[in-house]
Amino acid sequence: MRKKLTRKKSDRYRLLRFVFFAGLLLTLTLIFLVSTLGSQRFGSLHKLVIETVGPVQKLFAAGGASIGNFKREYLDILQDVIKVREENKRLLKQLQETEAILNRSREAMATNASLRRLLEFKNNLARPSVGATVIGKDPSTWFRSVIIDQGTNRGIVKGNAVVNSDGVVGQIFTASPNYAKVLLAIAPSSAIDVMLQQSRVRGMLKGNGTLTYRLEYILKTVEVAEGEHVVTAGYGGVFPTGVPVGVVSRIVRKPRGMFHEIEVTPSVDYQKLEHLTVIEQQDVSELKQVEQP
Amino acid sequence: MVIVSFMLLGVLLVIVQTTLCMPSPMWPLAPDLYYVLVGYLAYRLDLVRSLIILFPLGCTLDVLSGTVLGLHSILCFGGYFLLRFISGKLPVLESLYQIPLVATSFLAVNWCAHVVVSAFDEELLLPWSWPLMLARALLVALFALPLFRLFDAVRRFAQRSILPWNRLHLRVDNRRRRQD
Repeated sequence: MRKKLTRKKSDRYRLLRFVFFAGLLLTLTLIFLVSTLGSQRFGSLHKLVIETVGPVQKLFAAGGASIGNFKREYLDILQDVIKVREENKRLLKQLQETEAILNRSREAMATNASLRRLLEFKNNLARPSVGATVIGKDPSTWFRSVIIDQGTNRGIVKGNAVVNSDGVVGQIFTASPNYAKVLLAIAPSSAIDVMLQQSRVRGMLKGNGTLTYRLEYILKTVEVAEGEHVVTAGYGGVFPTGVPVGVVSRIVRKPRGMFHEIEVTPSVDYQKLEHLTVIEQQDVSELKQVEQP
Repeated sequence: MVIVSFMLLGVLLVIVQTTLCMPSPMWPLAPDLYYVLVGYLAYRLDLVRSLIILFPLGCTLDVLSGTVLGLHSILCFGGYFLLRFISGKLPVLESLYQIPLVATSFLAVNWCAHVVVSAFDEELLLPWSWPLMLARALLVALFALPLFRLFDAVRRFAQRSILPWNRLHLRVDNRRRRQD
């Protein structure tokens, strides 16, 4: 019974306290609102609030700015990087295409120049000739030959002279209807009748597999100078007379023997054989007629 | 099918060697891919099929390279029989010696051929050069492993028949099935 009375008293006290505080708060709020709205003054309370909230707001603002900066500095840059990469790819592709076009046009120009020189050379030849392109090279270490894309269908036969715009390249070794094998003049089994352009002395040009020829059978009594041009002699009707062969690059004068040892540098660049001209052989009957007065 | 495949492959190897592997007529380091095929045939294929494959290979080489007809055929057949003979006599595991042996036999066969041809006509061939030929033998050894893999793949592919005969076999009924 006593307990029930005590609990009732306590509840009443609580209710009274709640009503009192609520009334107080409402009153204060009302006073604050009336005073604020009425006077429109930035009072102490406002200052206190702003001083309290300010740092937090500052912190948040700084954080926001940092986030903004971060976004600008990193995320936007990342987007930019992606864009730049795509742009870079596009430009690189464009550059490659342009370079390819440039290379093609350079190649076409070079081929054009080479063929133009070959055509001029061909027009200067008195004999009929056939243009050909090198399609295969001898891979063995013991021979020097190439395969060309013209054969007996175009009148090419074994022994025909093969030249390019720089001079003598070699001779036809074998021919099929559409292809032929050319024995290069630098091959060890090659031998061409040549002469020194100034002294008009004849000799035999032989290959030694390297990028030089060996000029044989030039008597020691003949004066030979380095830099003298060697041309085809034209005997036998295989090569026309006066086709450039090379330049005398070294003369070995030995005390013994009858002949000079002469090294000749080819006028043809064997590293870059591409377009060749096959010259038809002169008829033996024509040769006889020329030789007889 | 195996014979035709290897014939075509041999011709293709020679063409690659004479075109793509030869930037200029003076290029010294063109790998002798055909000799790897010779070695493969000596190790893996029977005599009759190997000889049938070697004929067009040697002929193609003679046509596209050199001025002594038959020399490359001799190199192919010589190398083939030498490798076959040695590999038959050696007691050690095949994989240990097969690639070095291909390179060594290449060197030996080439040297013998050079000596013989030079004895007949001294000015027919370029002089023998040990550094160059050793480099070429090394190239053969370097290309041997990948090409052996390729040849194995080609052989596996070629051994599968074009027509699926095995699928056309009549399947007989199960003899152990109970009669109803």
